[in-house]
Amino acid sequence: MISHHPKFELIQAFVNGDLPASLSAGIAIHADMCPVCQQTIAQFTEQVAENSFEEEYLDRFIVDDNEALDTIASIDFDHMINNIVESSDIAVVVPKVEHTISFNDKTYTIPAALNSMEMGKHAHIGKLTRARIQLNENEIHTSLLHIQPGGGVPEHTHKGFELTVLLAGSFHDESGEYVKGDFIMLDSSHQHHPISTNGCLCYTVANDALHFTQGINKLLNPIGSFIY
Amino acid sequence: MQTNLLSRPTSAKSTNMSDKINHPQLCQWLESVAISRDKQAFTNLFQFFAPKILRIARGKFPNEAQANEVVQDTMSNVWRKAHLYNQDKGAATTWVYTVMRNVTFDMLRKIQGNKEDNLSDDIWPIAESMSIETEIFDDHLEHANLLSVIEELPQAQQDVVKGFYFREMSQEQLAVHLNLPLGTVKSRLRLALGKLKVQLGEQHD
Ligand SMILES: [Zn+2]
Repeated sequence: MISHHPKFELIQAFVNGDLPASLSAGIAIHADMCPVCQQTIAQFTEQVAENSFEEEYLDRFIVDDNEALDTIASIDFDHMINNIVESSDIAVVVPKVEHTISFNDKTYTIPAALNSMEMGKHAHIGKLTRARIQLNENEIHTSLLHIQPGGGVPEHTHKGFELTVLLAGSFHDESGEYVKGDFIMLDSSHQHHPISTNGCLCYTVANDALHFTQGINKLLNPIGSFIY
Repeated sequence: MQTNLLSRPTSAKSTNMSDKINHPQLCQWLESVAISRDKQAFTNLFQFFAPKILRIARGKFPNEAQANEVVQDTMSNVWRKAHLYNQDKGAATTWVYTVMRNVTFDMLRKIQGNKEDNLSDDIWPIAESMSIETEIFDDHLEHANLLSVIEELPQAQQDVVKGFYFREMSQEQLAVHLNLPLGTVKSRLRLALGKLKVQLGEQHD
C-alpha cells in the first residue's frame, strides 16, 4: 500500500502550476496511483479556480487597479472574440497511446505524464541503469532509474533534494520498505542506502549531486553524477 | 510581483462554491459552445473570464504581450475544446482554470528557455482519455463532443448515424424511414463509423 505522499504545500504549488515540469510530473504520476492525493488535488483545484474567478477576491490583490483597468481596456476584446469564433478548429479526442520502455529485457509502461518527454540513451553501472529525461531544467536532473534484483545505491546524503517515485517493484532503506506509487522526497537532512531485493523502476528528480558517506564509496564518485 | 492566489488560508475540504459565481449559467454557456458552437454564449464566457485571466496572467508575466497571449490562447482553447468539458466531473470554473494553468505552464517553460514541448496536457489532462467503442455503444452518442464530430459528416451519413444512435432505430427501420435499400444504410453506417473513429482516434489498449 502507498504510504508516502507529497506534502500539501507541494500539492498547492502543483495545482498553481508553480513547480518545474520534473516535480509536477512526479506528483501527477503519484496521483495517478493514489486516490487520496487525487482527491486532494481535485478539491484544491476546484477551490483555487473558484477563488481565481471570483471578482471580489481578485480585487483584493490588485494594488494598482487603475493600471490594470487601463491594460484591460487596451486589449481589443471584441477583436479577439471575433478571431477566435472564426476558427472552425475543433479539438478531437486522441486516446492516450501507451508508451513503453525496456530495461534489461523487462518492458514497462511509461506513465502518461511523461508521454511527450524525450528520453536519453541508457547508461549502466553495475545493477543500475539510467535513462535521462531531457527537460532542460538546468540544475534539476530527471531520470528513470532501473535497479536489478539485489542492486542498490551506496549510502549517500543529498545536498539538495532527491525525489523518487516508485513506478514498479519495491526497495527498502533504513527507514523501511517502499512500494509502487510511493512518493519519497528527501532533503539534505536524510542519509540513506536503498536496496532493491527484487528489482524496481523509479522516476527520480534531483537538484544536486549525491554525496556518498560510506568510506569506500567515496571513491565511487562517478556513481554520484550517474544518479544525479 | 507575483499575485499569490494561494495565500488565503485553505481547508482541504471541498465545495466552497460561493454564490458569487453563477455556476449553472457558466455551465450552460459552455454546453452551448460545445453543442452548437454558439457565438453569443462564447462571448458571454469571454466577458466573464477574459478580464480575470488577464489580471492573473499579469501577475505571472511582466510582459504585457505575453499576458495577452495567455488570454488569447486560453479562450481559444475554450472555444476549440468546450466539448471535452464534462460537467459531471466538476465546475466550469475548474475546467477553465485548468486550461488557463496549462497554457501558462507551457508558455513559462518556453520563455524560460527550458523547452517548447507542451507537457501540460500530459501532466494535467483536460479530458478523460476516452474509449470510443464503449462511449458509442453504451452511451448512445449522448456526448456533445461526439455530436460535434458527427456534424462534420456528410448529410447522408449524418442521417443514418443520428437515426441509429440517437433514435435507436434498427438498420431495417432506418432503411424504411429513409427510403433506402438496407445495403446502403449499412454501408453508410460503416463509412460514418470509420470516419468517426479516425476523427476521435482509434482506441489503443
Ligand atoms: Zn498520495
